[in-house]
Amino acid sequence: MQESTQAYGYPPGAARKGMFARVRRSLELVFFLCYAELHAERARAYLGFVWWVLEPAMNMAVLYFVFGVMLRTADAGYVPFLLVGLTVWQWFKSGVSHGGNAIWGNLNLIRQVKLSPLVFPCVQVLADSVKFLYIFALLLVLLWCTGYPPNPTYLGLVPLLLVELVFTLAIAYLVAAVIPLVPDLRFVIDQLLALLMFLSAVMFSADSVPPGIRKLLMFNPIATLVGATRGILLHAQWPNWSELASACAISLLLLVGAIALIRRLAHVYVKQAA
Amino acid sequence: MNMDASLITLENVGVAMRSKLHWNSKKFWALQDVSLRLERGMRLGIVGRNGAGKSTLLRVLAGILAPDRGQLRRATMSCQLLSLSVGFMPHLSGRDNAIVSGMMQGLDYRSIVTRLPAVREFSGLGDFFDEPISSYSSGMVLRLGFSVAMQVEPEILLIDEVLAVGDAEFQKKSGDALRQRIHGGTTVVIVSQSNTQIRELCDCALWIDRGTSKMLGGVDEVLAAYRHARESAETA
Repeated sequence: MQESTQAYGYPPGAARKGMFARVRRSLELVFFLCYAELHAERARAYLGFVWWVLEPAMNMAVLYFVFGVMLRTADAGYVPFLLVGLTVWQWFKSGVSHGGNAIWGNLNLIRQVKLSPLVFPCVQVLADSVKFLYIFALLLVLLWCTGYPPNPTYLGLVPLLLVELVFTLAIAYLVAAVIPLVPDLRFVIDQLLALLMFLSAVMFSADSVPPGIRKLLMFNPIATLVGATRGILLHAQWPNWSELASACAISLLLLVGAIALIRRLAHVYVKQAA
Repeated sequence: MNMDASLITLENVGVAMRSKLHWNSKKFWALQDVSLRLERGMRLGIVGRNGAGKSTLLRVLAGILAPDRGQLRRATMSCQLLSLSVGFMPHLSGRDNAIVSGMMQGLDYRSIVTRLPAVREFSGLGDFFDEPISSYSSGMVLRLGFSVAMQVEPEILLIDEVLAVGDAEFQKKSGDALRQRIHGGTTVVIVSQSNTQIRELCDCALWIDRGTSKMLGGVDEVLAAYRHARESAETA
């Protein structure tokens, strides 16, 4: 296959300018589609966006009932411990499962118009991030009311959440890259995510597993992020910066790799059987 | 050779598609061997039987499909495959859908927003413009889709059978607008089953058969050769 773009009769640099304009247009499209996505969810239920908060709140209430009331978990700190872990995990999980299906779900569109497939997973992950912010705010209020007041280490949340955003986007892109080629993988992804949840120390502390396995958990950015968020919110502890730096490096590498993969496969998706 | 006039050049281009999801599903060549030089200001009509690869060729020209063999060279220019209602979402208002669809077809946010009054005006939707399109009739959706698509004003316009939409009144309005665009100097490529339309709108024609370009030349010449081939195939 040979394809070349020549700027016949155009000043030099026109091609690069064209690429810059294309990237800007794609970003504008991402933000507008994200607005449209959130608007859609609001329009699809009577209570609209109240559900963004109500649904996770009900989820938290169920867990509180099971672990706090029914099982009377010996450690009083377990419920907040669990809620922080679940909130952080839920963001990653919904970003990956929505973003991962996004290219496959928009194949018809990219067959009709020239659009970068990179747009679609990004829209989903951003929409899930906006919803996460609402849930996170609810979690903070809950913690303040139950004896975990705001503290100066809250500043550490900024890099922490940014790394989680990058990691979520990276994994969503990786999944989104392969699903159009092998749509059957959709049935496996949820199971893999469930497994990853146990490998991310969401339900239990990383300290409670044998040291050998604990080292392995260290390579999982989500385990690092869950642990560090708990440190900040529950113990006013600054994150371990070297662990956070390595999680950040892993996330960025995966993101760059996933973007390169999708760009390479972009012309394959449009020729795929419907 | 006058390089300035040539917008897209195809040399022996082939495109392979996968027909179904299966581990060793065979590729089929939707385009086998197409050569074409599209020059600035050309009004090219593409003729051929169903399944000859006309729509695939349009998608190659639009840059949606990349060739699997042969050579494709294109100048840096904007190119639109006229598609109605692309990217429309039912729960969004006509206005928001116009923005989404306009951006998907190549406009940036600011350009489509400044063109919204024109979209509203041309579509004749009135106050419905701010209602969700799930409340529209299918004719109204087409009117909105056409009005947005006409705002893109690309350097090359690619048309696949869509020449007019809607009820009788809007068909005339949309057909007139499109004819005006076609005769206004834009480079156009039109796929149509109607020889009358090709004669009316185009100044040259390309005949493709089973993914292969057979003949490129004047409209009458190409249509005559195409008709002759079809007649001899029917009698054979």
